[in-house]
This record gives sequence, C-alpha cells and structure tokens, in this order.
Amino acid sequence: MKRMFFAVFGLGLLLGTAVGAEAGDPSADEIVKKANHIAYYEGQDGRARVEMTVTDAQGRTRQRVMTILRMNVGDDAEQKYYVYFHRPTDVKGMAYIVWKHLDRDDDRWLYLPALDLVRRIAASDKRSSFAGTNFLYEDISGRSLSLDTHELMGGDDKTYQIKNTPKDGNAVEFSYYVTWINKDNFVPVKAEYYDKEGKLYRRLEALETKDVGGYLTITKMKAEDLNAGSSTVALFSQIEYDIKMGEDIFTERYLRKPPLQWIQE
Amino acid sequence: MIDRIVDFAFKRPKAIFAIAGLLTFVALLQFLRIKIDTDPENMLPANEFVRRFHQEVKKEFTLYDYIVVGVVDESSPAGVFNPRTLEDVYQLTQAIGKIDGVVAYDMMSLSTKDDVQSDGAGTVRFQWLMHAPPYTEQDALWIRSRALANPMFYNTLVSADGKALAIYVPIKEKKISYTVAKKIGELTKAYRGGERYFLTGLPLAEDAFGHEMFVQMALSAPAAMLVIFLLMWVFFRNVRLVVLPLVMAMDVVILTMGAMVGLGFPIHIMSSMIPIFLLPICVLDSIHLLSDYYEEYRRFPNKEEAIRHVLRKLFMPNLFTSLTTVAGFFSLSFAPIPPVQVFGIFVAIGVAVAWLTTVLFIPAYVALLDASRLATFGVRHEENPTGPEHVILEFARHLAVDRWKLVLAVTVLTVAVSIIGLTRIKVNDNPTKWFSKKHPIRVADIVLNRHFGGTYSAYLVMEPRDKKEEVFLDPAMLEYIRGLQKYLLEQGSVGKSTSLADVVSKVYDELLGGDKKNGMIPPTKEAVAQCLLLFENSHKPDDLWHFVTPDYDKLNLWMQLTSGDNRDMALVVRQVETYFKEHPAPQPLIYHWSGLTYINMVWQDKMVIGMFVNFLGSFLIVLFMMVVLFRSPLVGLLSMIPMTVTIVFIYSTLGFFGKEYDMPVAVLSALTLGLSIDYAIHFIERSRQIYKVRMNWPDTAREMFGAPARALVRNAFVISIAFLPLFLSRLVPYNTVGFFMLMIMLVSSVGTLLILPAIISAAPRVVFGHLEPEKKVSRCACGECMLLAVMLAASVLYVLLGYSLTRWNVATVIAVFVVVVLAGICFIVGRLRNNRMV
Repeated sequence: MKRMFFAVFGLGLLLGTAVGAEAGDPSADEIVKKANHIAYYEGQDGRARVEMTVTDAQGRTRQRVMTILRMNVGDDAEQKYYVYFHRPTDVKGMAYIVWKHLDRDDDRWLYLPALDLVRRIAASDKRSSFAGTNFLYEDISGRSLSLDTHELMGGDDKTYQIKNTPKDGNAVEFSYYVTWINKDNFVPVKAEYYDKEGKLYRRLEALETKDVGGYLTITKMKAEDLNAGSSTVALFSQIEYDIKMGEDIFTERYLRKPPLQWIQE
Repeated sequence: MIDRIVDFAFKRPKAIFAIAGLLTFVALLQFLRIKIDTDPENMLPANEFVRRFHQEVKKEFTLYDYIVVGVVDESSPAGVFNPRTLEDVYQLTQAIGKIDGVVAYDMMSLSTKDDVQSDGAGTVRFQWLMHAPPYTEQDALWIRSRALANPMFYNTLVSADGKALAIYVPIKEKKISYTVAKKIGELTKAYRGGERYFLTGLPLAEDAFGHEMFVQMALSAPAAMLVIFLLMWVFFRNVRLVVLPLVMAMDVVILTMGAMVGLGFPIHIMSSMIPIFLLPICVLDSIHLLSDYYEEYRRFPNKEEAIRHVLRKLFMPNLFTSLTTVAGFFSLSFAPIPPVQVFGIFVAIGVAVAWLTTVLFIPAYVALLDASRLATFGVRHEENPTGPEHVILEFARHLAVDRWKLVLAVTVLTVAVSIIGLTRIKVNDNPTKWFSKKHPIRVADIVLNRHFGGTYSAYLVMEPRDKKEEVFLDPAMLEYIRGLQKYLLEQGSVGKSTSLADVVSKVYDELLGGDKKNGMIPPTKEAVAQCLLLFENSHKPDDLWHFVTPDYDKLNLWMQLTSGDNRDMALVVRQVETYFKEHPAPQPLIYHWSGLTYINMVWQDKMVIGMFVNFLGSFLIVLFMMVVLFRSPLVGLLSMIPMTVTIVFIYSTLGFFGKEYDMPVAVLSALTLGLSIDYAIHFIERSRQIYKVRMNWPDTAREMFGAPARALVRNAFVISIAFLPLFLSRLVPYNTVGFFMLMIMLVSSVGTLLILPAIISAAPRVVFGHLEPEKKVSRCACGECMLLAVMLAASVLYVLLGYSLTRWNVATVIAVFVVVVLAGICFIVGRLRNNRMV
C-alpha cells in the first residue's frame, strides 16, 4: 500500500524484462522488482482529494478538483479506481470508474449527471489526456510494465536511471522514456519522454513527498508538455490508507449514486 | 542658367564622371546591408489595429498562418483513400513536422487528429484518425468515413467528395513559408502514384510572390534595357551615344536604390519595382535629347555647339516633365501606407537624379567624345525626309490640322465610352491572383478550392459586451453561433466554418449514439460543460482552445473561404453584420475580424482609397505646375487633356475587359500620370518656341510634325516595345506593368499628336495668344481668374480631403467659405481691371 499514488500516477512503471545491469549495483531487474513490490503489493485501498492546476503556454490557468478512490483486487495487480469531480462547478458530479487489467484493455465508465448518462469509454490506447490536464490516462492507471524493456543506464549517488523502451514502437508516440528512482527507498522521482526524433518532449516529476500514516507518499506532482508549453501540477490532500471501502463502490450503480461516505465536499 | 551648366560640363567632364563614379561606388557598397521584406502585410503599419489584433488572436487561440498541402486523386472512386497514398501521406506528415519553422504540434493532418465516435451500444471511443497507415482498402475507406462524419474534419481535412485530403501546416513566421513550401515540394516529389500534391495558402502566396518578384526584377529590368538599347541603335546608329542613356539609367537606379538601402529602408515588394519604374522615365528624357541631337547635329559647326543648342531648347520641357513626374510620385508620400510612401519618395528622388544626370552627363560625355566617332551621326538635311515614320506623321498632321472637328468628335466619343468603362471597374485584389493561371500556386489554389471548404482563413472573434465568464457554455449562445454558421453557409460565400458549437454537438451526438445523431446542442450549460470535459479526455484536448478561451468568455469562429478576393471577404463581413443586426444574440456581443484574408482586405481598401486621393492630388499639383510653366491657366488645363484622355481610356479598358483594380493597378496610376503629361509638355513648349519664329499655326504645325514629333514617336516606340517582355512573366503585376507601359505610350502619344493640334487648330490663340502682343488686350482676364480660383479651390479641397478624408468640421466649412470669397474677389478685381483696360 505504501506509495500508492506512485502507482496512481504512473511513475513506478517497473514491471517486465530488465536488461543491462552493471556489476555492484542491483540489476535493473532487481530495482524493477523492488519498486514494483512497493508500488503495487502493499496496502489494500486508499483515497485522496486531488487538485490539478493546468497552466498553459500563455500563463492562463484552469482547475480540476476531484476525489480519487482506489483499491487493489487480489494479488494479481488488478486495481479499481473511482474518480469523482468536484470542480469546475459545471461538471460537479461527473464520475469515472476504471477497472484496470493487466492482460487486456481496461474497462472505463463515465457518468454525466447533466444528461444522466453512463457511457463506456474506449480508447485505442491509454495515452489520451486525463480530463484535459497534462497527465495522461496512462499516468493515472499505470502503464502495463510488460510493454517495455527496462535498462539500467547508471545514475548518481542518489538515483538509479532506467531507460524504458516500448516493445511495440508503433503503439505509442514516444520512442523511449527514462525514469529516475531513489536508491534508498525506490521512490520514482522523475520520468522524461523522448519522441521519435529523440527530442525530449514530456516530463513528469515528483515535487514533494510526505509521510502519511507511515507511508511515504508523493503529495505534489508535475506533468509538463514541452511542445505545447503547458504544465499541470497535482496536489494531494486528505490522504487516507486502508479505509476498507467495499468493492461494490466501483460498480456502475455507484456512478449515479456517489459513495458520499468517502467523497467529502 | 543652362549655359552655365553646359559650360561646367564642357570644362570638367572628367570631374563629373569621377564624382558620379565615386557616388555610384558608395551606393553599391550600401547593398552590402540590404534588407528584404516580402510581406505584403507591411502595407499596413505594424501598430495598425487589425495587425496587432491578428497577433493577439493568434496567440490567444494558438493559431498560426497555414500553408495548405492538398493531395488529390480523381482517378478512382476511393480517391486518395487507398493504403499506398495514405502511407505516403503518413510519411509526408511526419517529414513536414521535422522541417524547421513548422509547428508540428499543431499540424492538421489525418495522422495528427483525434476522433471521437460511438458504437451505438453505449461506448464512446477516442481514436486517432490515422494512428498508422492502413493495410487494407477497407481500413482506408473506414478512415475516410470517420473523417467525413466529423464536422471538424469534413471539408477541411477530407474533401466532401472524399477524393482529396489536406494537410494544414502551421508555420512560426510567414516569411519562411516559401522556404518551407520548397522543402515540402521536394518531399512530395518522392511520391509517385495516381495522386497529385498541391501547395497553396495565403502566407505562401504572399511570401512566394515576394521572392519571385526579385527574380523577375533581375530578369525583366536587363531584358528591357537590352530591348531599349537595340531600338535606340536602330534609330541613332551610334553605339557610343546609345550606350549613354542606358548607363545613366542604370546609374540612377543604383544611386536611388543605394540611397534607400543606405538609409535603412528594407526593399519591399513595392520598392523592388523602383527600377522598372525609373528605367522608362530616365530613358524618356535622354531619348528626347538624343533624338534632337541627331536631328540638329549637322546644322552646327561642332558637337559642343550642337548639344548646347539642343539643351537650351529642351531645358524647360525636360525640367518640367521631370518636375511633374517628381510631383506625381512625391504625392504618394501622403498615402497612409508606409511602403507606398517609401516607394513614392524614392522614385521621386530617382527622377530628380535622372534629370541631373541628363543635363550634366550628356554635355560632359559629348565633350569627351572623339568627334570622328560621330562622323556618320545625325540627319543629313539635304535629304528629303521619307520613310514610314514621315508618312505616318504627315498623316497625323493632316488629320489634326485639317480634320480637327473629326478628331475632337472622336475624342469626345472615346471619353464618353470610356466613362462607361470606368463605372464598370471592380476594385478587388487577392495575392494568390498575382500569379498567372499556370503558376503552381495558382493551380493549387484553383484545384484545392474546388475540393475543399476553402484555403483562405478568416477568424471572427466574439466576446460578450458586458464582461462575463463562461458565456459560451450557454446552449442558447451556441445555438446562436450555429445559426450564424448555417446562415453563412447558405449565403454561399463561406465554404466551411468551425466553432465550439461543432465540437459540442459532435461529442453530444456520439454520447447519444446511434440514430439519435442529429447535431443537437445539449440542453443545459452543465451538459455542455460535461460534454467538453469528455472531449478533453481525447488525445488532443488542446484543440478545444483554438475555438474558445479556457474561461469560455471569448469565442473564435474559424471560417474557410474558397476565394481570397477582397470582394468576397467584404461580402462575408457584410453578411455577418446583417446576421447580427437581424438576429440579436442572447447576450450582447462585440466582435472583431482577424486572419490574413481579412487583413488583405483592410490594406487593399486603404490602398485603393489612398491611391485615388493621391491621384487627385497629383493631378491638381501637376495642373498647378502646368499653369506656372505656361503662365496661363487655360494652356495649363489644355496640357492636361491628352493625359486625362489617356488615363480615362486605359482605366476604362480595365472596366471593359473585367481586369480588376488591384494593388499594381492602383500604383500605376502615378506612373501613368507622370509619364503621359510629358508629351503634352514637350508638344506645347516646342510649338510655342516654333510659333515665336513662324508666327502662324499651319507652319508651326508643319515643323512640329518634323523633328519634335519624331522624338516623341521614337520615345513611345522604344518604351512600349521595351516592356513587352513583361507579358511573359508568370507574375500578373508584371504583365500589368507591361500593359500599362504599352498603353501609356501608345495612347498618350497618339492623344498628344492628335488632340492637342486639333484643339489648337480650333482656337490657335488659346496657346499662342500672348505671343502676339497686339491682341493681349482682348483676352478675358476674368475667365482666367475664375479658372485659377477653381483650381485653387480644388487644391484646398484636396488638402482637406487628404488630411481628414471624410471628417468635416467647422474649420473645413470656414476654409471652403474663404476660398469661395477669395474666388469672388478675384473675379471682381479681374472684371474691374478688364473694364479699366477697355
């Protein structure tokens, strides 16, 4: 359960084949396994209020405020999310449910209260925007780690640097990305994405980590789109772990009738 | 004064050429820091509202000027939607994205756009329109059907007939369009198939024109010089003397352009035309001199005396033809268009320099010339003049002197018919049409605008009059905007328009799914906001911000026009006005226009009105100078007649042949005025000189139709032929210049040689009255006074008009009143003096 929101925000993308380990250091394989264990197999559930501020190239800002609920299902790394929008006021009550699978496409449902409509959302890939912010849907639900090969590129005193190369280059818009993982606690602190021309175009960063009830948690994150010149900062508050939500919350029925017990205004 | 100049030139010919050489060298050095500006947008000052606003809009909605790449395949029903072509388009899009200066992020192409769709069973899907090239025919057609079903792509990315697709290439700066387009052109060369690639778009047309213009200048100016040289050689048979006018013309161009560049002015599209304007003006002066020198050479004991005589005779007409041309061009400096001002001022300076070089260089050159080289030069006067030149001139003289009534009747008729032509002139411009119909850009323009909603963009930016946020989330407002879009489409002048309403209704359609798709706007503001949040979950959420600001209080309606004609843009502007007037918005809105198509319309309007006002001004100034030169308002007015007829005639042909009054045509009015008055000045001045000796009109006419008329005809011949190569250019403005040169020379020479002698034949005393002292008493001074008063009043009116176009105030009224009173006083004084004299 520890560092749940790394998983939520996709910096701990460390499953899969590890190659290129150096002698002395743990191998990429080991780093990946550890980070993976920490990211996915501790704790059972949790909630947080998330405030995202998008700043565009002209310095204009817009906000999204939501509550995110998450729970793990069994030990197979399947997860369920519930995202409830508080603001902007016009979209209050909009809600997502995500069932994350490892072996197939995720299931996503969206509820639009103004039209009282529930729709399944499908996407050709997971690299679409999350609610118009600079975070991608994949940053939220996590990139399936078997999609990439991981390679330890070295690093410095404090971090390991791992190069992640997609096995199917045509499926995504990046050619590879590099993650920096803290040596002492295996917290991923930064990820940089390079386009097909090898130009850096996207960056994710953990700006602040706090101890929440014994769990080291990232409480401030930033996603930047270097092409568009825009960025999004996400602030996490009211974080709680192991609150024992029932799994039935993550069903279509609850989209229309939000679980107010876990979603405070 | 002329003698002193000639003496000086005779004494120090080498010094004159040394100084001239030095100055030329200095001028040439200036070209090292040449700056070139090919952007017609600079016709407007940089701080002009519409330009600043365009920049603001581009920034606020992340818009760019676009080069449009069209891919068309009419050979099969599937058009370009087959796996091979789409593979090429996919590669091409990626390759274009890598070109320096292209904003790859905002490129619009099948492979860069995200699409939203529903399967009708409750699933909404976001999917790249073309994530990868399709493998099968079916996949290719599926891409087409999706693109056609999306109002944001229909008729924009994919043509309505499904046979063509387009890539919109945003560029960081307009001035790189030509370079970028060239690189794209190289990329498309590699693709061979049934499809054809086309490149167009206003930024490209404008930038490409700027580039090709310089190439044309480098080709056509030397070509014209060569033709002038050959023709002059045919006439004068002396290479050494014929070379001089050309060298002088070149020198004048170098000095003028050098001064302009040296003073830090960039060479703009307008000023790149300076050489082609200066060339005929320079040559004109020296042909008059040379022609006369050729006629008179053998009458004098030596070359110096001959040139002294010629210069003495031609000094005044040459001075005044130069001064009127200077005036004509200098008045362009009152135009509210910076490049036109620069152009006018430097052509004026060039003309002044040309005059100076003519009066200095020719005697100095003659002084240096070895007399033996002139052995075969000049007319042998013992011979009786024969040849076609002589026959034609004799015929003209006969016509003008003996059949003057016929000539005047034909003139009046011509003017009357011409006025009908004038009323048919259409004011219009479109930079794309500056290219001939065979030019690739023009071809692309025609083909792509036949297939798509339009390659010309205009943006209508709306915001609530009373500052209020989220106005454009209101369904009523979106319905209103959609009503406007529908109205414009029905009117037929807008090929396609895209707005926030299209985004919202597309998403709403897909949410409802299946057969409920009917392009509705969701019922509540919340529903609109929620549809948009759903849209923001796509791969390209930023696309939303091209149409609205994130606080939803400013909306951008993107219009695509199939024509970039100013008239069509103006029509759309009027239609929008009508719609707003007839349909009040749910919330009062204010709106502004932006986009290159609109900017072009604005500067064109300014240009046309500015040039017209300037033309009137130049006309008055020249008239005033004529009055001073001939010391008679009546003769002054008379001298304006051939020029007026020429202008009316030339411009009426535009009306009759449907040639539109565009930027080049507007600028050429100054040249027409400056050149066509010249012949009248020469004619009147020379005939008065002759009259002083002969003292009767028929003899004067006979002599006039000898050497002086020959000079005039040679002039007209040389210049009109010299600019004929311009008709070969694939840039339409060059054809226009060629046409004008031909017409100016033809019509004004014919006009001068027929109309002026015909009028004089009707009333010889009008021109020669004061040369006969005994008849002076009978002349009506009050008539002349009135004429002068009217001219003065007109000049004052012009100044008022020029400075405050239509703004009338108390001062204006008073000024007009004062002018009327002054004219009255002049009239009374003239009358009194006349009575006393009688």
